[in-house]
Amino acid sequence: MSTDCHLFCECNPEALFRVTVDNIVNATLAFDTSALAFTSEFQLAGARCIFSTNVRELRDNSLNWRAVSSPSSSETFEMEILVDPHVRFDSARGAHFRGLHHLVFAVLPPFGSFTFDLLRKRVVGVVASEVADDDIFWNAQLLPIAIGVLGTTVGVAPMHCACLDHQGDALLLAGHSGAGKSTLAAALAQCGFSFVSDDWTYISRGRSFVVAHGLFAPIKLLPDSARFFPQLKELSPVRTLNGEVAYELDADRHMGASMKRNSRPKWIFFLERTNSSGCQFNPCRPEFTRQFFEQNAERLPCELLDAQRRRSALIQELSECPSWVIRTAEGPLETARALSQFIAEKNHVNE
Amino acid sequence: MSTNEGILYANPPDLLRRFVSTPLKACYSYEGIHFTVETNDFTLLPELPLACNPEAARERGPRWKLVRDQDIRGPLGAPITLTSRRLTVVTIGTACLLGVDYDRQEALGFIGADVSPRAYKEYLVPFLCRLSSELRLQRCGIPRRKSASVYE
Repeated sequence: MSTDCHLFCECNPEALFRVTVDNIVNATLAFDTSALAFTSEFQLAGARCIFSTNVRELRDNSLNWRAVSSPSSSETFEMEILVDPHVRFDSARGAHFRGLHHLVFAVLPPFGSFTFDLLRKRVVGVVASEVADDDIFWNAQLLPIAIGVLGTTVGVAPMHCACLDHQGDALLLAGHSGAGKSTLAAALAQCGFSFVSDDWTYISRGRSFVVAHGLFAPIKLLPDSARFFPQLKELSPVRTLNGEVAYELDADRHMGASMKRNSRPKWIFFLERTNSSGCQFNPCRPEFTRQFFEQNAERLPCELLDAQRRRSALIQELSECPSWVIRTAEGPLETARALSQFIAEKNHVNE
Repeated sequence: MSTNEGILYANPPDLLRRFVSTPLKACYSYEGIHFTVETNDFTLLPELPLACNPEAARERGPRWKLVRDQDIRGPLGAPITLTSRRLTVVTIGTACLLGVDYDRQEALGFIGADVSPRAYKEYLVPFLCRLSSELRLQRCGIPRRKSASVYE
Protein backbone atom coordinates (compact mmCIF):
# COMPACT_ATOMS: atom_id res chain seq x y z
CA MET A 1 0.00 0.00 0.00
CA SER A 2 1.17 3.49 -0.71
CA THR A 3 2.93 5.52 1.90
CA ASP A 4 1.36 8.66 0.51
CA CYS A 5 -0.81 10.44 3.00
CA HIS A 6 -3.87 12.55 2.31
CA LEU A 7 -6.00 14.35 4.83
CA PHE A 8 -9.59 15.36 4.16
CA CYS A 9 -10.82 16.61 7.53
CA GLU A 10 -13.72 18.63 6.18
CA CYS A 11 -15.12 16.24 3.62
CA ASN A 12 -18.81 16.27 2.99
CA PRO A 13 -20.47 13.36 4.84
CA GLU A 14 -23.08 13.16 2.10
CA ALA A 15 -20.35 12.91 -0.52
CA LEU A 16 -21.37 11.58 -3.87
CA PHE A 17 -18.40 9.32 -4.00
CA ARG A 18 -16.16 8.10 -1.23
CA VAL A 19 -13.53 5.43 -1.19
CA THR A 20 -12.20 3.91 1.97
CA VAL A 21 -9.22 1.61 2.05
CA ASP A 22 -8.73 -0.19 5.35
CA ASN A 23 -5.66 -2.18 6.13
CA ILE A 24 -3.70 -2.51 9.35
CA VAL A 25 -4.37 1.16 9.82
CA ASN A 26 -7.88 2.25 8.97
CA ALA A 27 -7.64 4.69 6.14
CA THR A 28 -10.11 6.67 4.14
CA LEU A 29 -10.05 8.55 0.89
CA ALA A 30 -13.05 10.78 0.60
CA PHE A 31 -14.50 12.44 -2.45
CA ASP A 32 -17.25 14.95 -2.75
CA THR A 33 -19.42 15.65 -5.74
CA SER A 34 -16.75 17.66 -7.49
CA ALA A 35 -14.46 14.63 -7.60
CA LEU A 36 -16.09 13.19 -10.71
CA ALA A 37 -15.88 16.43 -12.58
CA PHE A 38 -15.05 15.06 -16.02
CA THR A 39 -18.11 13.87 -17.88
CA SER A 40 -19.01 12.64 -21.33
CA GLU A 41 -22.05 11.16 -23.01
CA PHE A 42 -22.14 8.45 -25.60
CA GLN A 43 -24.31 5.78 -27.16
CA LEU A 44 -23.54 2.19 -26.23
CA ALA A 45 -25.54 -0.39 -28.18
CA GLY A 46 -29.07 1.03 -27.96
CA ALA A 47 -28.60 3.08 -24.79
CA ARG A 48 -27.17 6.41 -23.77
CA CYS A 49 -24.40 6.41 -21.19
CA ILE A 50 -23.58 9.39 -19.00
CA PHE A 51 -19.97 8.80 -18.03
CA SER A 52 -18.19 10.62 -15.22
CA THR A 53 -14.76 10.26 -13.74
CA ASN A 54 -12.15 12.10 -11.73
CA VAL A 55 -9.47 11.91 -14.45
CA ARG A 56 -9.54 14.11 -17.53
CA GLU A 57 -7.51 11.66 -19.61
CA LEU A 58 -10.08 8.90 -19.07
CA ARG A 59 -12.94 11.19 -20.02
CA ASP A 60 -11.08 12.22 -23.18
CA ASN A 61 -10.35 8.58 -24.02
CA SER A 62 -14.00 7.66 -23.51
CA LEU A 63 -14.98 9.71 -26.52
CA ASN A 64 -12.69 7.63 -28.73
CA TRP A 65 -13.70 4.15 -27.62
CA ARG A 66 -14.61 2.05 -30.64
CA ALA A 67 -17.94 0.88 -29.30
CA VAL A 68 -19.36 4.31 -28.66
CA SER A 69 -21.16 6.74 -30.92
CA SER A 70 -23.07 9.98 -30.51
CA PRO A 71 -25.98 9.69 -28.09
CA SER A 72 -29.43 9.47 -29.59
CA SER A 73 -31.43 7.17 -27.31
CA SER A 74 -33.50 8.43 -24.42
CA GLU A 75 -32.80 5.23 -22.47
CA THR A 76 -30.04 6.31 -20.13
CA PHE A 77 -27.68 4.78 -17.62
CA GLU A 78 -24.84 6.32 -15.64
CA MET A 79 -21.28 5.14 -15.26
CA GLU A 80 -19.23 6.63 -12.43
CA ILE A 81 -15.58 5.61 -12.48
CA LEU A 82 -13.07 6.61 -9.89
CA VAL A 83 -9.42 6.28 -10.87
CA ASP A 84 -7.28 5.74 -7.81
CA PRO A 85 -3.50 5.43 -7.97
CA HIS A 86 -3.37 3.38 -4.79
CA VAL A 87 -5.87 0.59 -5.28
CA ARG A 88 -4.51 -2.79 -6.30
CA PHE A 89 -6.39 -5.90 -7.31
CA ASP A 90 -4.71 -9.28 -6.99
CA SER A 91 -4.11 -10.35 -10.57
CA ALA A 92 -3.42 -13.92 -9.45
CA ARG A 93 -7.19 -14.26 -8.96
CA GLY A 94 -9.52 -14.49 -11.91
CA ALA A 95 -12.44 -12.24 -12.72
CA HIS A 96 -15.71 -13.08 -11.09
CA PHE A 97 -19.27 -11.84 -11.13
CA ARG A 98 -21.91 -12.20 -8.45
CA GLY A 99 -25.37 -10.75 -7.99
CA LEU A 100 -28.10 -10.49 -5.39
CA HIS A 101 -31.39 -8.67 -5.79
CA HIS A 102 -30.72 -5.56 -7.89
CA LEU A 103 -26.95 -5.46 -7.39
CA VAL A 104 -24.32 -7.15 -9.52
CA PHE A 105 -20.68 -7.14 -8.47
CA ALA A 106 -17.80 -7.57 -10.91
CA VAL A 107 -14.24 -7.98 -9.70
CA LEU A 108 -11.86 -7.75 -12.66
CA PRO A 109 -8.27 -8.07 -11.44
CA PRO A 110 -5.94 -6.28 -12.03
CA PHE A 111 -8.16 -3.57 -13.52
CA GLY A 112 -10.76 -2.76 -10.92
CA SER A 113 -14.01 -3.55 -9.21
CA PHE A 114 -17.47 -2.51 -10.33
CA THR A 115 -21.00 -2.60 -8.99
CA PHE A 116 -24.06 -2.46 -11.21
CA ASP A 117 -27.19 -1.08 -9.62
CA LEU A 118 -29.95 -2.38 -11.87
CA LEU A 119 -32.74 -0.40 -10.26
CA ARG A 120 -30.98 2.95 -10.45
CA LYS A 121 -29.39 2.11 -13.82
CA ARG A 122 -25.93 2.98 -12.62
CA VAL A 123 -22.43 1.51 -12.66
CA VAL A 124 -19.97 2.59 -10.00
CA GLY A 125 -16.40 1.43 -10.08
CA VAL A 126 -12.89 2.03 -8.94
CA VAL A 127 -9.95 1.31 -11.25
CA ALA A 128 -6.19 1.45 -11.00
CA SER A 129 -4.49 4.42 -12.69
CA GLU A 130 -2.93 2.44 -15.50
CA VAL A 131 -6.40 1.38 -16.65
CA ALA A 132 -7.35 4.91 -17.66
CA ASP A 133 -5.64 4.69 -21.03
CA ASP A 134 -6.09 0.96 -21.59
CA ASP A 135 -8.58 1.14 -24.46
CA ILE A 136 -8.57 -2.63 -24.87
CA PHE A 137 -9.95 -3.05 -21.36
CA TRP A 138 -12.77 -0.58 -21.93
CA ASN A 139 -13.67 -1.70 -25.45
CA ALA A 140 -13.31 -5.43 -25.08
CA GLN A 141 -14.25 -5.90 -21.45
CA LEU A 142 -15.99 -3.24 -19.42
CA LEU A 143 -18.32 -1.75 -22.03
CA PRO A 144 -19.65 -5.14 -23.18
CA ILE A 145 -19.99 -6.20 -19.54
CA ALA A 146 -21.81 -2.97 -18.67
CA ILE A 147 -24.41 -3.28 -21.40
CA GLY A 148 -24.64 -7.02 -20.82
CA VAL A 149 -25.49 -6.53 -17.15
CA LEU A 150 -27.49 -3.29 -17.28
CA GLY A 151 -28.93 -3.61 -20.77
CA THR A 152 -32.27 -5.12 -19.83
CA THR A 153 -33.00 -2.14 -17.57
CA VAL A 154 -32.56 0.34 -20.44
CA GLY A 155 -34.42 -1.53 -23.17
CA VAL A 156 -31.44 -3.44 -24.57
CA ALA A 157 -31.68 -7.24 -24.60
CA PRO A 158 -28.31 -9.03 -24.65
CA MET A 159 -28.64 -12.15 -26.83
CA HIS A 160 -26.14 -14.96 -26.96
CA CYS A 161 -25.59 -15.00 -30.71
CA ALA A 162 -23.37 -13.61 -33.43
CA CYS A 163 -24.58 -11.03 -35.93
CA LEU A 164 -23.46 -10.39 -39.49
CA ASP A 165 -24.78 -7.91 -41.97
CA HIS A 166 -25.59 -8.63 -45.60
CA GLN A 167 -26.54 -5.56 -47.61
CA GLY A 168 -28.24 -3.87 -44.68
CA ASP A 169 -29.98 -6.96 -43.32
CA ALA A 170 -28.76 -8.79 -40.25
CA LEU A 171 -28.29 -12.50 -39.90
CA LEU A 172 -28.27 -13.73 -36.29
CA LEU A 173 -26.33 -16.89 -35.62
CA ALA A 174 -27.33 -18.71 -32.44
CA GLY A 175 -26.76 -22.15 -30.97
CA HIS A 176 -25.21 -23.99 -28.07
CA SER A 177 -21.77 -23.09 -26.80
CA GLY A 178 -19.27 -25.11 -28.79
CA ALA A 179 -21.49 -25.42 -31.86
CA GLY A 180 -19.07 -23.27 -33.85
CA LYS A 181 -20.89 -19.91 -34.02
CA SER A 182 -17.72 -17.83 -33.75
CA THR A 183 -15.87 -19.91 -36.31
CA LEU A 184 -18.79 -19.68 -38.73
CA ALA A 185 -19.09 -15.93 -38.05
CA ALA A 186 -15.40 -15.51 -38.91
CA ALA A 187 -15.87 -17.55 -42.07
CA LEU A 188 -18.90 -15.46 -43.09
CA ALA A 189 -16.85 -12.32 -42.48
CA GLN A 190 -14.39 -13.69 -45.02
CA CYS A 191 -17.25 -14.40 -47.47
CA GLY A 192 -18.25 -10.75 -47.80
CA PHE A 193 -20.58 -10.35 -44.81
CA SER A 194 -19.99 -7.29 -42.63
CA PHE A 195 -19.21 -8.13 -39.05
CA VAL A 196 -21.43 -6.76 -36.28
CA SER A 197 -20.78 -9.02 -33.28
CA ASP A 198 -19.47 -12.40 -32.27
CA ASP A 199 -20.57 -13.85 -28.95
CA TRP A 200 -23.15 -11.32 -27.80
CA THR A 201 -25.54 -9.18 -29.80
CA TYR A 202 -27.59 -6.42 -28.19
CA ILE A 203 -31.16 -5.99 -29.38
CA SER A 204 -33.04 -2.77 -28.88
CA ARG A 205 -36.19 -1.18 -30.23
CA GLY A 206 -35.59 1.30 -33.03
CA ARG A 207 -38.20 3.75 -34.27
CA SER A 208 -40.18 1.13 -36.15
CA PHE A 209 -38.25 -2.13 -35.87
CA VAL A 210 -35.77 -3.96 -33.65
CA VAL A 211 -32.08 -3.24 -34.14
CA ALA A 212 -29.12 -5.56 -33.53
CA HIS A 213 -26.02 -3.83 -32.13
CA GLY A 214 -22.43 -4.92 -31.80
CA LEU A 215 -19.70 -3.46 -29.64
CA PHE A 216 -16.61 -4.11 -31.75
CA ALA A 217 -15.59 -6.82 -29.30
CA PRO A 218 -12.98 -9.21 -30.70
CA ILE A 219 -13.92 -12.56 -32.23
CA LYS A 220 -12.85 -15.41 -29.96
CA LEU A 221 -11.71 -18.54 -31.75
CA LEU A 222 -10.56 -21.70 -30.03
CA PRO A 223 -7.00 -22.87 -30.82
CA ASP A 224 -8.18 -25.64 -33.19
CA SER A 225 -9.65 -22.94 -35.49
CA ALA A 226 -6.13 -22.33 -36.79
CA ARG A 227 -6.60 -25.19 -39.25
CA PHE A 228 -9.36 -23.20 -40.97
CA PHE A 229 -7.77 -19.76 -40.82
CA PRO A 230 -4.06 -19.69 -41.73
CA GLN A 231 -3.70 -16.11 -40.51
CA LEU A 232 -4.17 -17.34 -36.92
CA LYS A 233 -0.78 -19.02 -37.04
CA GLU A 234 0.80 -15.58 -36.70
CA LEU A 235 -1.11 -14.93 -33.47
CA SER A 236 -0.93 -16.47 -30.03
CA PRO A 237 -3.96 -17.63 -28.07
CA VAL A 238 -4.62 -15.73 -24.84
CA ARG A 239 -6.54 -16.53 -21.68
CA THR A 240 -9.89 -14.76 -21.99
CA LEU A 241 -12.05 -13.27 -19.26
CA ASN A 242 -13.98 -16.49 -18.76
CA GLY A 243 -10.80 -18.52 -18.43
CA GLU A 244 -10.83 -20.05 -21.91
CA VAL A 245 -7.68 -20.06 -24.00
CA ALA A 246 -8.58 -18.58 -27.37
CA TYR A 247 -7.41 -16.38 -30.19
CA GLU A 248 -8.85 -12.89 -29.93
CA LEU A 249 -8.91 -11.16 -33.25
CA ASP A 250 -10.39 -8.09 -34.84
CA ALA A 251 -12.71 -8.90 -37.71
CA ASP A 252 -11.40 -5.99 -39.73
CA ARG A 253 -7.67 -6.25 -39.04
CA HIS A 254 -7.30 -10.03 -39.05
CA MET A 255 -10.16 -11.17 -41.27
CA GLY A 256 -10.30 -8.26 -43.66
CA ALA A 257 -14.02 -7.85 -42.92
CA SER A 258 -15.88 -4.58 -42.92
CA MET A 259 -17.40 -3.65 -39.57
CA LYS A 260 -20.91 -2.41 -38.87
CA ARG A 261 -22.13 -0.91 -35.65
CA ASN A 262 -25.69 -2.21 -36.05
CA SER A 263 -28.10 -3.81 -38.47
CA ARG A 264 -31.73 -4.77 -38.83
CA PRO A 265 -32.40 -8.45 -38.03
CA LYS A 266 -33.90 -10.33 -40.96
CA TRP A 267 -32.91 -13.99 -40.52
CA ILE A 268 -32.03 -16.21 -37.56
CA PHE A 269 -30.03 -19.41 -37.84
CA PHE A 270 -29.43 -22.00 -35.12
CA LEU A 271 -26.21 -23.85 -35.74
CA GLU A 272 -25.90 -27.57 -35.00
CA ARG A 273 -23.17 -30.05 -35.81
CA THR A 274 -24.23 -33.34 -37.32
CA ASN A 275 -22.52 -36.51 -38.51
CA SER A 276 -24.54 -36.81 -41.70
CA SER A 277 -22.92 -35.20 -44.71
CA GLY A 278 -23.72 -31.80 -46.17
CA CYS A 279 -25.49 -28.79 -44.81
CA GLN A 280 -29.25 -28.80 -44.23
CA PHE A 281 -31.56 -25.88 -43.51
CA ASN A 282 -34.69 -26.77 -41.53
CA PRO A 283 -37.21 -24.01 -40.80
CA CYS A 284 -38.25 -23.23 -37.20
CA ARG A 285 -41.49 -21.90 -35.85
CA PRO A 286 -41.46 -18.47 -34.15
CA GLU A 287 -42.34 -20.20 -30.88
CA PHE A 288 -39.17 -22.28 -31.06
CA THR A 289 -37.09 -19.13 -31.65
CA ARG A 290 -38.83 -17.28 -28.84
CA GLN A 291 -38.29 -20.15 -26.42
CA PHE A 292 -34.64 -20.48 -27.36
CA PHE A 293 -33.87 -16.85 -26.58
CA GLU A 294 -36.07 -16.74 -23.47
CA GLN A 295 -34.49 -19.85 -22.03
CA ASN A 296 -30.99 -18.73 -22.83
CA ALA A 297 -31.47 -15.27 -21.38
CA GLU A 298 -30.19 -14.51 -17.93
CA ARG A 299 -32.70 -15.16 -15.16
CA LEU A 300 -33.62 -11.88 -13.52
CA PRO A 301 -34.69 -11.35 -9.90
CA CYS A 302 -38.20 -10.28 -8.97
CA GLU A 303 -36.98 -6.70 -8.44
CA LEU A 304 -36.59 -6.43 -12.22
CA LEU A 305 -39.99 -7.55 -13.45
CA ASP A 306 -40.39 -4.53 -15.69
CA ALA A 307 -37.02 -5.16 -17.35
CA GLN A 308 -38.00 -8.78 -17.84
CA ARG A 309 -41.26 -7.79 -19.54
CA ARG A 310 -39.46 -5.42 -21.88
CA ARG A 311 -36.93 -8.06 -22.76
CA SER A 312 -39.69 -10.58 -23.47
CA ALA A 313 -41.38 -8.09 -25.78
CA LEU A 314 -38.13 -7.65 -27.72
CA ILE A 315 -37.63 -11.41 -27.95
CA GLN A 316 -41.22 -11.82 -29.15
CA GLU A 317 -40.66 -9.28 -31.88
CA LEU A 318 -37.32 -10.79 -32.86
CA SER A 319 -38.78 -14.28 -33.07
CA GLU A 320 -41.01 -13.17 -35.93
CA CYS A 321 -37.92 -13.21 -38.17
CA PRO A 322 -37.73 -16.28 -40.43
CA SER A 323 -35.56 -18.85 -38.65
CA TRP A 324 -33.81 -22.08 -39.59
CA VAL A 325 -31.69 -24.72 -37.94
CA ILE A 326 -28.51 -25.36 -39.92
CA ARG A 327 -27.35 -28.93 -39.48
CA THR A 328 -23.89 -29.18 -40.89
CA ALA A 329 -21.11 -31.71 -41.11
CA GLU A 330 -18.97 -29.35 -43.17
CA GLY A 331 -16.14 -27.07 -42.14
CA PRO A 332 -16.83 -23.40 -41.41
CA LEU A 333 -15.83 -22.11 -44.82
CA GLU A 334 -18.05 -24.64 -46.65
CA THR A 335 -20.94 -23.93 -44.25
CA ALA A 336 -20.46 -20.19 -44.77
CA ARG A 337 -20.64 -20.66 -48.54
CA ALA A 338 -23.79 -22.80 -48.20
CA LEU A 339 -25.38 -20.20 -45.93
CA SER A 340 -24.43 -17.40 -48.29
CA GLN A 341 -25.99 -19.31 -51.18
CA PHE A 342 -29.13 -20.04 -49.12
CA ILE A 343 -29.60 -16.35 -48.33
CA ALA A 344 -29.04 -15.36 -51.96
CA GLU A 345 -31.77 -17.81 -53.00
CA LYS A 346 -34.18 -16.51 -50.36
CA ASN A 347 -33.53 -12.94 -51.46
CA HIS A 348 -34.07 -13.96 -55.09
CA VAL A 349 -37.42 -15.59 -54.23
CA ASN A 350 -38.51 -12.47 -52.34
CA GLU A 351 -37.64 -10.27 -55.31
CA MET B 1 -39.75 -29.55 -45.73
CA SER B 2 -39.22 -30.72 -42.18
CA THR B 3 -39.38 -28.33 -39.27
CA ASN B 4 -37.12 -28.40 -36.30
CA GLU B 5 -38.80 -29.34 -33.04
CA GLY B 6 -36.17 -31.62 -31.62
CA ILE B 7 -33.79 -29.47 -29.63
CA LEU B 8 -34.30 -28.94 -25.93
CA TYR B 9 -32.49 -26.03 -24.35
CA ALA B 10 -32.17 -26.03 -20.59
CA ASN B 11 -32.50 -22.93 -18.47
CA PRO B 12 -29.21 -21.06 -18.22
CA PRO B 13 -27.15 -21.72 -15.10
CA ASP B 14 -27.33 -19.20 -12.30
CA LEU B 15 -23.86 -17.79 -12.99
CA LEU B 16 -24.27 -14.85 -10.64
CA ARG B 17 -25.56 -17.09 -7.78
CA ARG B 18 -28.57 -14.82 -7.50
CA PHE B 19 -30.96 -17.61 -6.68
CA VAL B 20 -29.01 -19.51 -4.05
CA SER B 21 -31.42 -20.49 -1.31
CA THR B 22 -30.63 -18.99 2.11
CA PRO B 23 -32.89 -20.87 4.50
CA LEU B 24 -30.84 -20.39 7.68
CA LYS B 25 -31.63 -17.37 9.82
CA ALA B 26 -30.31 -16.11 13.15
CA CYS B 27 -29.86 -12.86 15.00
CA TYR B 28 -26.59 -11.26 16.01
CA SER B 29 -26.07 -8.85 18.84
CA TYR B 30 -22.59 -7.38 18.88
CA GLU B 31 -21.50 -4.39 20.90
CA GLY B 32 -25.06 -3.18 21.11
CA ILE B 33 -25.79 -3.55 17.41
CA HIS B 34 -28.43 -6.02 16.31
CA PHE B 35 -28.80 -7.58 12.92
CA THR B 36 -30.16 -10.72 11.35
CA VAL B 37 -28.23 -13.02 9.06
CA GLU B 38 -29.97 -15.09 6.41
CA THR B 39 -27.58 -17.57 4.84
CA ASN B 40 -26.91 -20.95 3.26
CA ASP B 41 -24.10 -21.85 5.68
CA PHE B 42 -24.31 -22.75 9.37
CA THR B 43 -20.80 -21.40 10.01
CA LEU B 44 -22.01 -17.89 9.20
CA LEU B 45 -24.47 -18.02 12.06
CA PRO B 46 -23.54 -16.95 15.60
CA GLU B 47 -22.47 -19.71 17.96
CA LEU B 48 -24.92 -18.40 20.53
CA PRO B 49 -27.69 -16.74 18.57
CA LEU B 50 -30.09 -14.44 20.30
CA ALA B 51 -33.24 -16.22 21.29
CA CYS B 52 -35.44 -14.16 19.06
CA ASN B 53 -37.77 -14.50 16.17
CA PRO B 54 -35.88 -13.38 13.03
CA GLU B 55 -38.99 -11.65 11.71
CA ALA B 56 -39.39 -9.67 14.89
CA ALA B 57 -35.69 -8.89 14.85
CA ARG B 58 -36.08 -6.98 11.61
CA GLU B 59 -37.48 -4.16 13.68
CA ARG B 60 -34.33 -4.10 15.76
CA GLY B 61 -31.77 -4.10 12.98
CA PRO B 62 -31.05 -4.78 9.34
CA ARG B 63 -31.15 -8.18 7.69
CA TRP B 64 -28.06 -9.44 5.88
CA LYS B 65 -28.37 -11.94 3.10
CA LEU B 66 -25.00 -13.69 3.07
CA VAL B 67 -24.22 -16.39 0.56
CA ARG B 68 -21.34 -18.77 1.22
CA ASP B 69 -19.85 -19.11 -2.25
CA GLN B 70 -17.96 -22.37 -2.67
CA ASP B 71 -16.70 -21.34 -6.11
CA ILE B 72 -14.76 -18.30 -4.96
CA ARG B 73 -11.35 -19.20 -3.62
CA GLY B 74 -8.67 -17.09 -2.01
CA PRO B 75 -8.08 -15.20 1.20
CA LEU B 76 -9.47 -11.95 2.49
CA GLY B 77 -7.50 -8.96 1.26
CA ALA B 78 -7.27 -5.27 1.99
CA PRO B 79 -10.82 -3.93 2.04
CA ILE B 80 -11.88 -1.34 -0.48
CA THR B 81 -15.06 0.45 0.46
CA LEU B 82 -16.77 2.36 -2.27
CA THR B 83 -19.64 4.64 -1.39
CA SER B 84 -21.61 6.32 -4.11
CA ARG B 85 -24.65 8.25 -3.09
CA ARG B 86 -26.94 5.75 -1.31
CA LEU B 87 -24.93 2.62 -1.98
CA THR B 88 -21.86 1.21 -0.25
CA VAL B 89 -19.88 -1.71 -1.62
CA VAL B 90 -17.00 -3.39 0.21
CA THR B 91 -14.56 -5.64 -1.64
CA ILE B 92 -12.30 -7.56 0.73
CA GLY B 93 -9.94 -9.31 -1.61
CA THR B 94 -11.73 -11.68 -3.92
CA ALA B 95 -13.09 -13.62 -0.96
CA CYS B 96 -15.76 -11.23 0.18
CA LEU B 97 -18.17 -8.83 -1.47
CA LEU B 98 -20.63 -6.80 0.58
CA GLY B 99 -23.23 -4.34 -0.63
CA VAL B 100 -25.49 -2.00 1.35
CA ASP B 101 -28.36 -0.10 -0.21
CA TYR B 102 -29.44 2.62 2.22
CA ASP B 103 -32.62 3.56 0.38
CA ARG B 104 -33.89 0.02 0.19
CA GLN B 105 -32.44 -0.91 3.59
CA GLU B 106 -30.87 -3.98 2.04
CA ALA B 107 -27.58 -5.61 2.96
CA LEU B 108 -26.15 -8.37 0.81
CA GLY B 109 -22.93 -10.27 0.50
CA PHE B 110 -20.90 -13.21 -0.77
CA ILE B 111 -18.27 -14.94 1.32
CA GLY B 112 -15.73 -17.21 -0.36
CA ALA B 113 -15.00 -20.81 0.50
CA ASP B 114 -11.61 -20.12 2.09
CA VAL B 115 -12.88 -17.66 4.69
CA SER B 116 -12.70 -19.63 7.93
CA PRO B 117 -15.36 -19.38 10.62
CA ARG B 118 -12.76 -17.66 12.79
CA ALA B 119 -11.87 -15.06 10.14
CA TYR B 120 -15.56 -14.49 9.62
CA LYS B 121 -16.25 -14.01 13.33
CA GLU B 122 -13.21 -11.90 14.15
CA TYR B 123 -12.88 -9.85 10.99
CA LEU B 124 -16.07 -9.80 8.97
CA VAL B 125 -18.66 -9.65 11.72
CA PRO B 126 -17.26 -6.31 12.96
CA PHE B 127 -17.52 -5.10 9.38
CA LEU B 128 -21.14 -6.21 9.19
CA CYS B 129 -21.77 -4.42 12.45
CA ARG B 130 -20.27 -1.18 11.20
CA LEU B 131 -22.32 -1.28 8.02
CA SER B 132 -25.44 -2.33 9.95
CA SER B 133 -24.95 0.62 12.22
CA GLU B 134 -24.72 3.01 9.25
CA LEU B 135 -27.78 1.41 7.72
CA ARG B 136 -29.73 1.89 10.90
CA LEU B 137 -28.63 5.51 11.24
CA GLN B 138 -29.74 6.15 7.68
CA ARG B 139 -33.12 4.63 8.38
CA CYS B 140 -33.50 6.99 11.31
CA GLY B 141 -32.55 9.90 9.08
CA ILE B 142 -29.18 10.52 10.75
CA PRO B 143 -26.48 11.41 8.19
CA ARG B 144 -23.45 9.20 7.81
CA ARG B 145 -20.55 10.03 10.07
CA LYS B 146 -17.98 12.54 8.97
CA SER B 147 -14.74 10.90 8.02
CA ALA B 148 -11.37 12.34 8.78
CA SER B 149 -9.29 10.53 6.30
CA VAL B 150 -5.82 9.17 6.24
CA TYR B 151 -4.44 6.95 3.54
CA GLU B 152 -1.39 5.02 4.60
